[in-house]
Amino acid sequence: MKKILVLVLALVMALSAMSALADITIVQNKVEIDGVLQEYAAEYAKEAGYNVKVNTIGGSVSYPVGLKAEFQASEPDIFVIEGPADYELYKDKIFDQTGAEWTQYTDAAYMDGDKVVGFPVAVEGYGMAYNADILAKAEIDPATLTNVNAYKAAFEKLDSMKEELGLDAVVSMVAGTTPGMTWVTGLHNFNIYLTVGLDRNDTSIIDKVLAGEVDEERFHAYCEYVALIFQYSDPDMLINGTQDMQLAAFANGKTAFYHQGNWMDPSLMELKPEFEIAYAPHAFLEEDTDGILVNPPSWYVVNTNGNVEEAMQFLNALATTEAGHDYMVNKAAMVPAFTNVEITPTTPLSKSVMEWNAAGKTYSWQQYKLPDGFGMGTLGGIYELLASGAIDEPTFEQMMKDAIATIPTL
Amino acid sequence: MEKQKFFSGRRERRITETLFLLPTVLAFIMVIIVPFLIGIYYSFTNWDGVSTAMNPVGLENYRTIFSEPAFLHAFLMTVEFTVLNVIAVNVVAFLMALLVTSQVKGRNLYRAGFFVPNLIGGIVLGSIWQFIYASILPAIGKSLGWAGLSSSLITNAGTVIGAMVAVNTWQYAGYIMMIYVASIQGISQQVMEAASVDGATYWVRVRKILIPLMANAFTISLFLTLTNSFKMFDVNVALTNGGPVTMFMSTPVQASELLALNIYNTAFKYSKMAQGQAKAVAFFVVLVVVSLVQVSINKRKEVEM
Repeated sequence: MKKILVLVLALVMALSAMSALADITIVQNKVEIDGVLQEYAAEYAKEAGYNVKVNTIGGSVSYPVGLKAEFQASEPDIFVIEGPADYELYKDKIFDQTGAEWTQYTDAAYMDGDKVVGFPVAVEGYGMAYNADILAKAEIDPATLTNVNAYKAAFEKLDSMKEELGLDAVVSMVAGTTPGMTWVTGLHNFNIYLTVGLDRNDTSIIDKVLAGEVDEERFHAYCEYVALIFQYSDPDMLINGTQDMQLAAFANGKTAFYHQGNWMDPSLMELKPEFEIAYAPHAFLEEDTDGILVNPPSWYVVNTNGNVEEAMQFLNALATTEAGHDYMVNKAAMVPAFTNVEITPTTPLSKSVMEWNAAGKTYSWQQYKLPDGFGMGTLGGIYELLASGAIDEPTFEQMMKDAIATIPTL
Repeated sequence: MEKQKFFSGRRERRITETLFLLPTVLAFIMVIIVPFLIGIYYSFTNWDGVSTAMNPVGLENYRTIFSEPAFLHAFLMTVEFTVLNVIAVNVVAFLMALLVTSQVKGRNLYRAGFFVPNLIGGIVLGSIWQFIYASILPAIGKSLGWAGLSSSLITNAGTVIGAMVAVNTWQYAGYIMMIYVASIQGISQQVMEAASVDGATYWVRVRKILIPLMANAFTISLFLTLTNSFKMFDVNVALTNGGPVTMFMSTPVQASELLALNIYNTAFKYSKMAQGQAKAVAFFVVLVVVSLVQVSINKRKEVEM
């Protein structure tokens, strides 16, 4: 056995000594960027002197299943992981990229302790999107919206000027089970409690939640923030609103704020909003928290058994060359997770996410660590009760705590 | 000679019959019996639906589900929905059947028209009616100043079951109507005419002659509507998605989540396949008992001409 290993090692060394670069294969999961990634890889190959093959798994095949099949056939050099579940499964095969050139330009890498292991494919983000024209008319400076008192004052002012500004409500928010919008509340809004104001690697709040506990003071502030948003939202929209209705209210200038992420950009552009849009932080605390919630949905990892050298070179080029930036922003229409990218997306929400990210003012996403169905189902239902007025804020807070207390038994 | 003897007579027939049955029986075993047995087995484990870890837990799942507010609520709502729906569908279907078998003008058009909603798939239908309930009816209600209609009926816990019954009746009554129509047409006109000559009014004829002679149609129709209501899933998902949320046993539960949807959500949304299977087994037992009771009661009322 040992002999074979030595032989293989010698062979590998001999091959690399020959300096002929080996071809690499990428297995990835975004069907919508398959074409542009192929093109980019072909262009890259001309410069780099080795071929890059892109295998996309998607459509009718689920990515985790397809990836297992790929590994059976021939191990890829770069593949995508979608989170901790994938990481745990492939841990032994994932190369430690600590110190790679790209790592200095991002704080969204997939980390295992101090080890940098995953290259963020892109980032997605959400905050409190605002209509800059309406805020200007009401003489509210969005830059001041960094604590809950500023929000309270702004909401109150806008509410009193509703007729003047032609608003139906201050915030465009949805929480209904029937139209299937509880992910907005039970996952994305709940994550505000989990990460706002914390360091990106700080998992203290989510760890507590998973143990069935909450941080009393912080949780109370959060619940009041939820009640505040609901108070200034259209009650009918909260319960009956679909994703399209929520978007239309904001895009048609009927609300000043919009609680959604930059993935809504394509639909937003179809409605041709005639005003400037950007994100303000979800600042639910009395002290300032100046950042929006940004996270990569997936990461590229390098296979230890593959052609590590070439794979790392490819990823570095993606993060540090102009062609790589052009591909990420203009071709694939993604928000890159890197601070050194100077090209900006043309769509407003993505542009704003990118600016916040470049400024390094971001908080992470931890909501995916909740048990299956817990955020959308269990918590989502309690948010809806508050939205419909069936319960008041103190009851809401208690019911949320009771629900969280059941997590360890799930 | 030997060959012919071997394949002749009763024995040959039996072999032929068996061979002809085989494909169907095999398919039935493969897609019904085996999954059913595997499902029962899962209900005694703690399988989550994905992982490779699966340990037997005995009756644990059954104990859990019968103390779970959401499941008990779904059970009660299913009973409520079934009772209302069986009555609504059959009354409407029967009245429509009377209408289209009378001398009314354009009855063939009605016959086709009443049946058409049944051709629309449940998911499409649910989405259409969600739009009607969420946008069109409130708009009408507001412009007419009717308080009852001015907010959506499907996001109000008190009216959502009724709203679902209305949609299901709209869809399903036409189908049941066809069964009643066939049954009415099968009754000899002589009997009806004789009664008419004897001075019986239309309603007396319907009550004393038509309904008793149609008893077998009622058996079938009630069975179909009962099982259909109990198993209601597609319209439930597309129309209400289980919402709105309401309080039950001091826990938030989904007001219109019927049993089938509750089972689906348990297994796939909450990744508790084993618990979902336990619910499905309980659901199956209840459904079998209820439909057997219904059929045996109805059978007793059937009369022969």
